[in-house]
Amino acid sequence: MIKNTDVDLFPQKIISDKKKKDDKFNLVKAILLDIFFVFYSIIVVQRAIYLKYIMDIHDLPFSWNEIIILFIASILIGTFWALTRTSLSCKLFGIAKDNNVTKWTVEIFAWFLFDITFIAGWVVTKISIVSIFSGEGLAGAERLFGAMFRPEFGIFDDALFAMIETIYIALIATLISIPPTLILSFFTARNLMKDNKISFAVYYILRLILNFVRSIEPLIWAIIFSVWVGIGPFAGMIALLVHTIASNAKLYSEAIEGIEEGPVEAISATGANKVQIVWHAVVPQIILPFLSFTIYRWDINVRMATIIGLVGGGGIGTMLMQYQGLARWHEVGLIILMIAFVVWIMDYISAKIREAIY
Amino acid sequence: MILEIQNLHKVYNNGTHALKGVSFEVKEGEFLVVIGLSGSGKSTLLRSINRLIEPTSGAVRFLGKDITHIKGEELRKIKSQIGMVFQQFNLIKRRSVLSNVINGKLGSLGTINTILEKYSDEVYKEAYSCLEIVGIGDKAKVRADSLSGGQQQRVAIARSLMQNPKLLLADEPVASLDPATSNSIMQYFEKVNKDFGTTVICNLHFLSLVRRYATRVIALKAGEIIYEGLPSDINEGWFKTIYGEEAEEVEIK
Repeated sequence: MIKNTDVDLFPQKIISDKKKKDDKFNLVKAILLDIFFVFYSIIVVQRAIYLKYIMDIHDLPFSWNEIIILFIASILIGTFWALTRTSLSCKLFGIAKDNNVTKWTVEIFAWFLFDITFIAGWVVTKISIVSIFSGEGLAGAERLFGAMFRPEFGIFDDALFAMIETIYIALIATLISIPPTLILSFFTARNLMKDNKISFAVYYILRLILNFVRSIEPLIWAIIFSVWVGIGPFAGMIALLVHTIASNAKLYSEAIEGIEEGPVEAISATGANKVQIVWHAVVPQIILPFLSFTIYRWDINVRMATIIGLVGGGGIGTMLMQYQGLARWHEVGLIILMIAFVVWIMDYISAKIREAIY
Repeated sequence: MILEIQNLHKVYNNGTHALKGVSFEVKEGEFLVVIGLSGSGKSTLLRSINRLIEPTSGAVRFLGKDITHIKGEELRKIKSQIGMVFQQFNLIKRRSVLSNVINGKLGSLGTINTILEKYSDEVYKEAYSCLEIVGIGDKAKVRADSLSGGQQQRVAIARSLMQNPKLLLADEPVASLDPATSNSIMQYFEKVNKDFGTTVICNLHFLSLVRRYATRVIALKAGEIIYEGLPSDINEGWFKTIYGEEAEEVEIK
């Protein structure tokens, strides 16, 4: 017979302990967030709205002492406010008192935050209705649009070749991205990696790297690679490739995280090993979303490839940059027309293909 | 004794105490039915047997061998001897019926061959004969999700038969099927039990099905066994104890 194992389990206690711990943790978070809210409000109201907008001072004086004093004040106010349990953050973390004071402070403060943010945004963006409708400005725009609506077809052959180059840059970047993205996506899918500590660490680090790579725009990657491998289509292709891998690995891994668990459970119940489970239960569920993401990405990459050309990534973008620099607006008009046409076609084709495979 | 469960506990990470010291034994060739309300721990119990979830404490003995803490290759070997059928069928929807059935054999085939899907003629023959047993040999080439619910569950049974299981676990196999189909699915379990001597442990909701197919019944309530005995001995009083005072028995033909 098997020995009886002594069990010492108090689920109720575990739950209530967990709740107490959560509450404490939430209060700390609420205090920090309230401090931020107060500090943000003070800074925005004082600098952007009062000094810049109402007093109309252009070069704002800046001193660290002032900032530090305001910050200390915010710490005091924010902490006090959160501890009363009537603040906006308390409400957000679900630890606020349920009374009218909370209701009113939360509502008023939320509107206040929204309003000052909008006003500050208006001030910072330097929105000016006047400059849109000034006579001089309108004349310039008219000249430019006038030229662009009479495109110069003399450079059509060159533009066509540049366009083809752009499409191929996008295509190759997308194709080469597939194998590494596939492999990475399995290692960045939480449901496949959470089982033990080592795999979870791998998951975490890879996610971090991918997030970092993705947060840098392809345009910046193109600048980096045009220095690294020299200006031209190759730099543009690598830039797109790097960004495509990072973006699609996220989309792919999210598709993996969204699969039905049932088939995975069923296959693992047959005694299959990890590789077999992934191949026979996970892969069949994700092939179509993967295909769809990849085709969509090609479409996105064609658009990005035109932009990347602006910083030396080759293709039609580079050509556009040259004619724009020479202020030859008739030629620019033709190039823009071609870009719009190709992007439209790509959009249509990729939508049709994605419809067809589902 | 094919299976011995000793003082099994399961506490989930969220604190739910799903099993509170469950102990019972299963003899070879039995058709054991586990009944109880939703949330009484039936699914947890079944999944603790083939270790789809890890029990918190206690022991599971399969064919005299303690399998509570085995890992890796050893665990996979045990899993491959225990078939399982689920409420939601859990087939790979976009694959053919045949490849779904062959999936049951994965535990005993080489990884490379299963990835390339190179199977011997014997495996194919076996898959077809499993499909014949559940009466859908003609559907082998069809995509799994084009079948009706009852047919999908038969594919799932065929998949578990591919394992030549000593023990077959069924987690509410008829809960998403209509009454007529439920009965026919239960007949396939009975056939497997009688013809191949496979021990069956099955979670069920409908007492009329329990009375017809079970050789023995265990009732769970809030993670504890409150009844163990013959299906015919479950009277009105026991029924109210198991399902609560409010419950009324629903007939299923």
